Amino acid sequence: MSTNSTAILNQTATDADLADPSLVKLRDLIYRISGIFHAENKFYLLALRSRRRMKVIGSNTFTDYFDQLTTRANRDVEMRNLLNEITIGETYFFRGQPTIDAVSKIIFPKIVALPGKQAVKKVRVWSAGCSTGEESYTLSILFLEQIAPKFKDWKVEIVATDLNDDSLVKCREGLYPEYSMRNLSPQRREKYFKQEGTLYRIKDVVRAPIKFDRLNLQDQTKMLFMKGFDLVFCANVLIYFDGAAKKRTVEHFYNGLVPGGHFFLGECETLFGICDQFRLVHFPGSTGYYKPVPGEDAGGKK
Amino acid sequence: MLQRRVSELGSLPVMPSILQSLGTCLSASPGDMNIDRIVELISYDKSLAAQCLRVANSAMFTRRADVESIRQAVLALGIQRIRDIVYSCSLPKLFAGAQQGMAQSTFWRHALGTALVSQNLAQRLKVADIEKLYLAGLLCDIGILVNSLLYPEDFQRVLEQAQASETPLCEVEQQVLGFTHCESGRILADIWKLPPDISETIEFHHHPSGDHADVEMTCVVYLADLLCRLRGLGYGYYEAREFDLAAEVPWQVLKKKHPDTAAGLDLARFTFELDQYGVEVQTMVDSIFSNGSGPH
Repeated sequence: MSTNSTAILNQTATDADLADPSLVKLRDLIYRISGIFHAENKFYLLALRSRRRMKVIGSNTFTDYFDQLTTRANRDVEMRNLLNEITIGETYFFRGQPTIDAVSKIIFPKIVALPGKQAVKKVRVWSAGCSTGEESYTLSILFLEQIAPKFKDWKVEIVATDLNDDSLVKCREGLYPEYSMRNLSPQRREKYFKQEGTLYRIKDVVRAPIKFDRLNLQDQTKMLFMKGFDLVFCANVLIYFDGAAKKRTVEHFYNGLVPGGHFFLGECETLFGICDQFRLVHFPGSTGYYKPVPGEDAGGKK
Repeated sequence: MLQRRVSELGSLPVMPSILQSLGTCLSASPGDMNIDRIVELISYDKSLAAQCLRVANSAMFTRRADVESIRQAVLALGIQRIRDIVYSCSLPKLFAGAQQGMAQSTFWRHALGTALVSQNLAQRLKVADIEKLYLAGLLCDIGILVNSLLYPEDFQRVLEQAQASETPLCEVEQQVLGFTHCESGRILADIWKLPPDISETIEFHHHPSGDHADVEMTCVVYLADLLCRLRGLGYGYYEAREFDLAAEVPWQVLKKKHPDTAAGLDLARFTFELDQYGVEVQTMVDSIFSNGSGPH
């Protein structure tokens, strides 16, 4: 969260908003439906984002808005709108430092050390719901910085999929505004981007390992072919699916991963009650899911 | 060697008498709580009294009118928070002499965090004796302060090495010192005559195994300590490790004893919730270390 947006949010979420018991009900409803959980330190965000939707539909209190989301005929549409509001504008390069650290300091080094990997020397990553591509390019940069210099023959292959054609066009174009660049050091800007007016174009060296593709995660046939990944990312997509669709999709992710592979959701999403096969794992500052290696002793993972 | 060194050195802090008497009062069951006595004891200690008033009047609690008396502060904050303040205000003073080693604020952030998370995890799982778990969490790493005091240079080296190699403190302590803060903490606990279960927790909170793995208190504190280290309330450096909490022995012990509550606990959600303690703990630590009535 940038300082700037915090300042704006603090102006908007009042103490009365934060103390409103209906906000807790709203939080629990969102958790139940989407799996996104707002801890109390994120209440101001929840209040602000709900208020934005409430203004649009002319709802004045959280109690009334909760009603709109639960008892009215258009409740599903409004929930979708709210979830859009909650996840909007969340993509920029190097977003979510704790997960980035986990991948570069813990997971990548582990993958290149796997005995079974030594013949192929390739890390395979799937960004499911890649939106406008920032996450995929970030992963490509991470590999260039952390693995490529130390493990010369190793390659990364990133499969980035999305349902939205407009997003995919932007991914392939690889041209980004300042907003997407805000977390990048001058060195990284210089090294991996070429400035074009007020925009920044991603360089080919970052682009090369990525394949962008259109994929509907609900397409059962196509999903069967997504196999052999070491890492899968799927942030803020499952939240729109109902329980059964969530279960099905997560099962595909599970099957798509190699044993010992990792799966990451959005920052505040949980898989609780959706899938028992994955094991929740903690990294400093972030959580992920792990597909156990068959026969692995339950206490053996450290 | 450690045992001898510790007993030879008379420099280890003595448990302050106010903490002994207040500790007993504050750990009473709600029915036996003697508010008058608590107010009286706090009023004896000027800096403690000032600390209570300051926290009661801090931004976190300004929803009511100004709090001017200790009685008002006790009632406004509640016994639990008063107890937090009493311990977190008195204990750091004892170790203010440690010039090297872990920064005091880092240490107390982790200690307060572990205390809060221990208590909260115990509540969720419906473990008995929740009150005691706060204290156990707060004191579990007290050996770090002992090491800072008794072995300032060696322990400084431990910290630097742990930070550089991104490995858990215990492992580096074992290599460099030949013992860990669990053992030195246990010795202080015995000198202070802490309750046996708390002393055991201090000794075994990083290695619950054998009989000790059956002690719920140790298991809860083990997990709380780990979670704090994983959520920004750690020892002040990055530990490059991945943890499958559900596969840890302490979690399995707790799960066996409290199958229903454990099955209903969304551990990922619980982890996200911890982040709100960060704010609370920071406020508390800032208030302890921010001005003249703090421990330094």
